[in-house]
Amino acid sequence: MEKVMDRTNSTETVKCWVELYSDHLYTWAFRKTSDKETAEDLVQETFLVAFQNFEKFEGKSHPKTWLFSILKNKIADHYRKLFKEGGVQTISFNDFFDENGDWLQEHRPIAWKQDETHLLDDPDFKKALDNCIDRLQNNYKAVVTLRFSQEKESDEVCQELGIAATNYWQLLHRAKLQLRKCLYLNWFRK
Amino acid sequence: MKKLMNFLMLSCKKASALIDKKAETKLSVKENIQLHLHTSMCDACTAYLKQSKMISEALHKHLHDHEDEGTPLINNKDLQDKIISGL
Repeated sequence: MEKVMDRTNSTETVKCWVELYSDHLYTWAFRKTSDKETAEDLVQETFLVAFQNFEKFEGKSHPKTWLFSILKNKIADHYRKLFKEGGVQTISFNDFFDENGDWLQEHRPIAWKQDETHLLDDPDFKKALDNCIDRLQNNYKAVVTLRFSQEKESDEVCQELGIAATNYWQLLHRAKLQLRKCLYLNWFRK
Repeated sequence: MKKLMNFLMLSCKKASALIDKKAETKLSVKENIQLHLHTSMCDACTAYLKQSKMISEALHKHLHDHEDEGTPLINNKDLQDKIISGL
């Protein structure tokens, strides 16, 4: 009888959490994945995990904090999967350098004139940055997101992705070449 | 002297790679000298160094976990109903 009581109790509590926090979680997941379906799946899985592990939640942290920590793990899992399934798509150096290793004329970096310190206060810049991240191929997007969205050392991320350190910084390097070009074309040139 | 210079000279392709490598890990003494020498002579790679750093900072600030930071809340009632009926 007590077990049954517990179960109704946890169902009611989790239902209440869904009403209170699912929009917050969804907004966050959508921002992190830029995909409606993926974000919905991740939030749904988050509540399922919360429901299944309800007895482990002892009220030591705020429920919202606990739910967010589950969601963040789910998002990291999502990007690890994306990376592994991303295959061998490559950003080619030929898009940036000639056969002698010199910058191609049209991609040769020149100093950006804008004041860079307050860029992130500008919602339009954030949008441009989001678009550029979004346009990266999946494996690069995954590495960039895992690298910059969490407080983790390089070797931890390498381990998570199952890649060597050399491979890791080279992926980041190619992603940055691409991001730099995209930001230049869509923002700094204007 | 010429031999030494050839040994230390980098292409822009290699120099830009070392710039991003340096952001993630330690460079060897040779790589550090090569990179320093190259950027002291190359405006494009000096600009790249600055921009690569700026992009890292922007990515870090933008992607880093701030839950309730400024973004307007998206309401998704359908999702709520779906989750509740699945419990």
